[in-house]
Parts: sequence; C-alpha cells; structure tokens
Amino acid sequence: MLNSCNIVIAGAAGQGVESALVLAGKSLLKAGFHIFISADYQSRVRGGHNFMRIRFGDQPLAAAVSTINYLLALNEESLTRHLPNLTNEGLAFVMADDGLNVADQRVVKIPAEAGPTTAKTDTFTGIKLLALLFTELSLSPEILKESVRQQFAKKLSPKLLQTNIDTISELARFFTDRPVQPLPFSSSPDPQRMLVNGNDAIALGMVAAGIGVYTAYPMTPSTSVMNVLADCGPQMGIAVEQVEDEIAALNAALGASYAGARAATGSSGAGICLMAEAIGLAGIGEIPIVIFDAQRSSPATGMATRTEQADLLFVAHVSHGDFPRLIIAPAGHSESFYLTAEAFNLADYWQIPVFILSDQAQASSERSVNEFDLEKVTIDRGAIAKEPQSAEMLRRYEVTETGISPRAFPQFSKWLISCDSHEHNEIGQVSDDIENRNRQHNKRMRKLANLAATLPGPEIIGAPADNLLICWGSTVGPVLEAAEKLRTQGHNFAVAIFQYLYPLNRERIEKALAPFKEIYTIEGNYSGQLGKLLQMETNVRISSHIGKTDGRLFTVEDVVQSLTELVGGGQ
Amino acid sequence: MSCNYESDFASQWCPGCGNFDTLECLKTALCNLQIEARDFVIAAGIGQAAKLGFSLRCNLLAGLHGRALPLALGLKMANHKLQVLAVSGDGCFYAEGGNHLLHNARRNLDITMLASDNRVFGLTKGQASPTAAADFITKIHPEGSGAQPLEPTLLALSAGATFVAKAFTGNPDELTAIIEAGINHQGFALIDILSPCVSFNKVNTFAWLKKRIEPIAESHDRNNRAAALQLAQFNPEEKIPTGIYYQTEKPVYGAHKKALSGEPIAGRTQNYKPERVKPLFARYR
Ligand SMILES: Cc1ncc(C[n+]2csc(CCOP(=O)(O)OP(=O)(O)O)c2C)c(N)n1
Repeated sequence: MLNSCNIVIAGAAGQGVESALVLAGKSLLKAGFHIFISADYQSRVRGGHNFMRIRFGDQPLAAAVSTINYLLALNEESLTRHLPNLTNEGLAFVMADDGLNVADQRVVKIPAEAGPTTAKTDTFTGIKLLALLFTELSLSPEILKESVRQQFAKKLSPKLLQTNIDTISELARFFTDRPVQPLPFSSSPDPQRMLVNGNDAIALGMVAAGIGVYTAYPMTPSTSVMNVLADCGPQMGIAVEQVEDEIAALNAALGASYAGARAATGSSGAGICLMAEAIGLAGIGEIPIVIFDAQRSSPATGMATRTEQADLLFVAHVSHGDFPRLIIAPAGHSESFYLTAEAFNLADYWQIPVFILSDQAQASSERSVNEFDLEKVTIDRGAIAKEPQSAEMLRRYEVTETGISPRAFPQFSKWLISCDSHEHNEIGQVSDDIENRNRQHNKRMRKLANLAATLPGPEIIGAPADNLLICWGSTVGPVLEAAEKLRTQGHNFAVAIFQYLYPLNRERIEKALAPFKEIYTIEGNYSGQLGKLLQMETNVRISSHIGKTDGRLFTVEDVVQSLTELVGGGQ
Repeated sequence: MSCNYESDFASQWCPGCGNFDTLECLKTALCNLQIEARDFVIAAGIGQAAKLGFSLRCNLLAGLHGRALPLALGLKMANHKLQVLAVSGDGCFYAEGGNHLLHNARRNLDITMLASDNRVFGLTKGQASPTAAADFITKIHPEGSGAQPLEPTLLALSAGATFVAKAFTGNPDELTAIIEAGINHQGFALIDILSPCVSFNKVNTFAWLKKRIEPIAESHDRNNRAAALQLAQFNPEEKIPTGIYYQTEKPVYGAHKKALSGEPIAGRTQNYKPERVKPLFARYR
C-alpha cells in the first residue's frame, strides 16, 4: 500500500490559495517527496471556493484522494466544507476568527497575534498555516523559506519578502506545547526530480521534438502550453502567435508545417470544433500537424475549469470525409512528455494530423517526475524527396505502396511544391478524374491501415484476473491505485491502459483482451466513448461503463466505491 | 534568370474572365522583379480566382475557402524570407475570411494580397459577395441583399494595412506596376483587383467598370493616411479611383520577435535537438 499524506489548502479566489500551493509543492519537492497535486478551482478571479489537494509520499503518486490528513482552511467556509473528509487523526489549521463557530478537537485555531505585526492581513494566512503544518510534520521551516525566496524574490519588494520569511520563523516557534507528528514514511531525495503539470510536460515535449511554430487562441485548460512556449520562444527559436480564432490557429500551423517547421496548435473542445475544416485540409493535403486538445467539461462552454473525457468520439471523426489521423492520449505526466515528442515524429512520418488528447484533470494536476530522459527522444522528419537537377514540380502526392510520398520544403529545395485541399493529382493540381481520385484516396487510406498495424495495443496490468477495467488519460492513475486496493480485499481487477486511441490495432487489442470474462470501461464521460470505439472497430464487448460527468476528477475513493458497487451488484 | 512560370494546367475560367489578365500581369511582375519560383509561395483560398496558382509553375498552398491569410501567416512564421502572395476572390477574402483580413492587416504581415474583386461568388454561380451593391439581384436575393457594399480599401486602411491599392484588369500596365509595388512593399499589401465576371455579374461588366475607373491624380500623397481614407470613400456608381491609395513604412510582423530574425525557423529546424529542452527543466525544481 502507498504511504502518503494528503493536505488540502482551501479558500476563496484571490486569497492566496495558489501561492500557498506553489510554496507547498516546491518545498515538499525539495524535502524529497513524491507529489501529486490537483487543483479544484472556479472560473472566476475573486471569491467562490477553490481548493488544492497536495498528496505526497515515499513512492510515485498518480492520483488524488478525497480523504484529508491536514486541512489548511483560509476561511470558515473552507473549514466546514472539508471537515467531513478529515480523518479522525487529522488536523485542520485555521485562523482563530475564521473558526469561531466550529467546535471540533481536530481544529487548531491560530490566534490573530501569531506572526510579525507587519503580517496581519489576510494575504499572510496561507503562509502562516503552511509554516505551522511544516512544524507539525517536523519538516524544516528553512525549506519553506528557500521556496519563498525562489518563488517571490523577483516579485516582492525586499521588505515584503522578509516579512514572509519572518512569518515562517515566528509561526514555526509559535506553539511550544504541540507534539510534533513525524510522517510515517521517509523521503527519497533526488535533485533531478521535477514537479510539472500535464501541460508543462506537453510543452516540454514539444520543445524537445523541435517545434518551431505554435499558433493558438487562448482557451482553458490548454493555454498554459502556449504560455510556456511563448516564454522560451525568443531564446529557442519558436514563433508563437495568439491568432484571431482557432480557425486561423490551425490554418497558420498548417502553413508553417508546409514551409518546413514543426508546428502545432492547441485548444479545448470548443476550439477544436472551429478547427474541423482545417483538420480535413491536413488530411487531404497530407500536412503533418500536431493538435493538442485539453478536454474540458462539455458541450459548448460547459464548465470552463472542469474536466471531462468526452471529446474522443468527436476527435476520432471530426471533419467530413475519410482520411487518416492518429489520436494519442498520454496517461500521466512523463507519458505526456515522451508521447508528445513522438507525436511529431508520427505526424511527419505519416503526414497526418496527430491529436494529443489530454484533459483538465491531467493538464492542471502537478506531479513529481524523474527528469525526462532525452536519450529516449528522437527526431524523425519522415520521407524527404531527393533533390532534382533543376527546378520542377515535386510529385508531392506520388502514389506509393506505403501511401507515403516524400516531402520537400519551399526555398530549401529546388523542388516546387503544390499542396492542395481539393482532390489533386500527383503534382498537386486540382483534379476530379475518376482513376486519379481512386488512386489518391486509396493511397491516403493505406496510410491509416499501415499506421494501425504499427501501433501498440493496451498495456495490461494485474493479469490474470476475470475482470478488466479499461481506462485512459487522467483516469488511469486512480484506477490503478483503486484496483490495487481492491485486490487486497480479494477482488481481482486487471487494468488495460490505452494510450493510442485511434486508429486501433485490432489484432493486438483483441488478443490482449481475449482472456477476460467481463470488460468494463471507466472514463470521465457519460457514454463510455472508448468502449464505443472499441466495439465499432474490434470484436471486444463491454459489459458496462462507469462514467463521470460532474467535471471533477476521479479520486481513488471514487473508483473504489464504483468498483465495490460493481462487485456487490454481481452477488 | 529564367523567367518560366508556365504550367500545363488547363484553366477553368470562362473566356473573357478578368482572371486571365491578372495571371498575365502577375507573371510579368514576377519576371520583371526577377523572383525565382523557389523563393515565393502562393497561399490560395477557394473560388475561381483562387485557382490562379495552378496556372503557374510555382510553390502553391491551396487551402480552404476564406483561409488563405492564416496560411500566409504560418508560412511567414516558419520562413520569414519567403515571398508570400495570398490569392483569392472577394467572397473568400471579405466574407468567409473577413476576420483574418482585419488581423493580418493589424499585424502588418509582410505579404501581398491579390483580391480578385468581381463583386460576386463566381464558383458557386452568382451569389452576392460583400462588395456587391445592395440592389444586386441574384437567385438568393431577388429583391437585392439590402446590405451596403463593403469597400475593401477603406476596411484595410482602418485595420492598419501599410499598402492599399485598387487596380482594374482592363488596365494591365497599371495592374502589373501595382503588383510589383505591392511585392516590393515591406508589409501588408492589399490589392483589390476589379475583375469582370462574364458569367455571373451582368451589372458590373467590363464596360461598366471601364467607364468608372479613374487613375488617382498625380498630386495624391500616398503617404498620407487621411488623404487615402478620403480617397477610399468614393461613390462606385460614379467613379472608382485606381492606383496606390496608401503606402507607408511600419515594422512588419515578426520584427519584434527574436525567433523571427536571422535564419528562418524552417532552416534552423534541423539544428533543433531534443537537448534544447534541458535548460527549461530547472524551472520545475
Ligand atoms: C466552407 C466553405 N463554404 C462554402 C464554400 C463554397 N464556395 C466555394 S467558392 C465560394 C465563393 C467564391 O466567390 P469568390 O471568393 O468571390 O471567388 P470567385 O469564384 O468569384 O472568383 C463559395 C461560397 C466552400 N468551398 N467552403
């Protein structure tokens, strides 16, 4: 079983919940723990209720839990809301006047006079509670101070910075009579370990892959990928443009790809809707492109800061007509890095649109990971045409066995290159000749079949077992942990992790799933979209679906409860 | 240099279509400017005018209806040294793609936009385009559209284009000279080309256009935006000024971006190795 501790920091937007979160994360990372942080925030700038779950332990963590060991409540509402999830041995820290009406032995009330006189305002509440917690856990306050300096030295005045440091010192000494509660597990420091959210991992994967152009229109929860690229772009030679809409975003990225850069765009479902037509352009024009979809609650505007996994069937079919495409859904943060880098290779190799499907739960949750191993990243630009003697039209759509026709880039080659959204002949001229249409259409669709044959099937964990749970994306972490928990209670569930969601390698999937009696899907959607896709494309039959549409991520407890009901129902 | 842009493509235009003239003028301009085929790309939309690129032996990115300009933006981001021509019709640029016109003019994207303006949707057989008069009768608009025609030069001027011109296919010398000036211009150049559609526009015919066009007076100060705005507010029923309304120098798109200086990104991409990401890891510790 996992040894871990779950802290919740809760308060209103604008109360400094986020700074407290950043400090907690950085400090626990420095202290050498493995971390999983998930944020539950509302789409508003002030007020409301936001809370962050910070789970840390001595082994890698991949899921959030609802049970709270320590609650840092920045206001009374946060206290009353989250107390029901606090364990019996747990503690809640709150400023005394926020906890006036709560009588509970687990609540530690901090008198207003705690801390320097210069740190009386609300904005210091987060750091005060954090300093107390660190003391309680007998973690060094020096680590917290170091994180404060690291995070805020550039943002705060020297005086304010010092007030924060002094606050930590004073709070660490404030309770002289409280017994410390050392953690029941130890840390395992690794100076190379990093704390990244899912979007960071994707942005870093893009940089490693050699991205040169990223064009997008801001949309939660995809925007932070653009922020990371825009920030390092000037140094790294990456041009980033906030364009006028998502239609421009994908068309511009396609222009850049045609011209020879590695290019990508990103959005959430609504933005992908606007890209639909240009996705078909990438298909028929055979223009390599990576499209990042950070799924969120749907349809239309849905719940902007909430998660869902309901774009899969849309993305598998978006844009009219038949053409090859690839959908990759990294399950986790390291996977987000490596599979994003690989997405560019596959886009270039097959000259198709490649979707990276993530979701809000993964995009905004932070996780400690080993430093990404760059030895594992290769760059493969696919087939490039041999240079001609003199300028002539490239047979850009040369009909080949594999369906792949070599590319060239304007101005960097003597070839003249025509790329066309109409049906076209081999040199890229519009054509509606019957034989030509059939040849070109077949050539494109051959790529889909050939690509499918190269793709891996699911990874199966926990076999042999009678029952199999199919999951993908952010759902994988909690399902794996829940399955392990149930195993200790005598219920065996194996887990199938799908990362390549379309096209499906029928043979590999059917073979991998054949041994199981009952197959269930667990997805953050209503209809069991991966299950539906599997039933469309393979002989796999799904017994039932465990879905979730409330916009919140699956916690380990959520999954345990659903699975317990599932086994209970079978009796 | 060889001046050979001949393509074997069988044109799909009607005899008498203004697009033939535009094609010839463009070829002449490219020859006069000695631009090698490998050094420019045509970004095209969809429509009859947009097919012009197939009639040239050149680099062509023939995209979607309305979306020639975002393609052009991407081309210039990946390779700011490419000459980029955006070619399409008035429906494509001003209706489906209107938003992109505003924003790429604002960016002062360094491209030349050849808008073949026949005031009608030619390819789809004669619907009103945004430049059609309010009382232009079509199958869809038996009573006219009732909507005021858009004046592209006025729109481009207010959006921030740094080169705005109008030409007429019946005046090939002027058209060629304007295309050359537009290509030479550093920044967003809009050339609205009045071009008769012999099949679907029986109102704004060659003769109708010929009667109304009038070269801009020598005295016009093309560096003066107010004067250009004034010039662009003509009554098309009376006269239509042709020539360069406005030309000014402003920083082009990318001038403020370090990534878009020196060797183009497309050329540098081969040097982009996975290790480039390593310095970023420190932020996450
Ligand atoms: C998304 C989309 N909508 C509609 C069309 C149909 N369509 C093709 S060209 C065109 C208008 C053409 O008019 P214009 O751009 O003025 O070019 P012209 O044919 O007159 O040269 C339309 C409506 C399309 N191809 N794509």
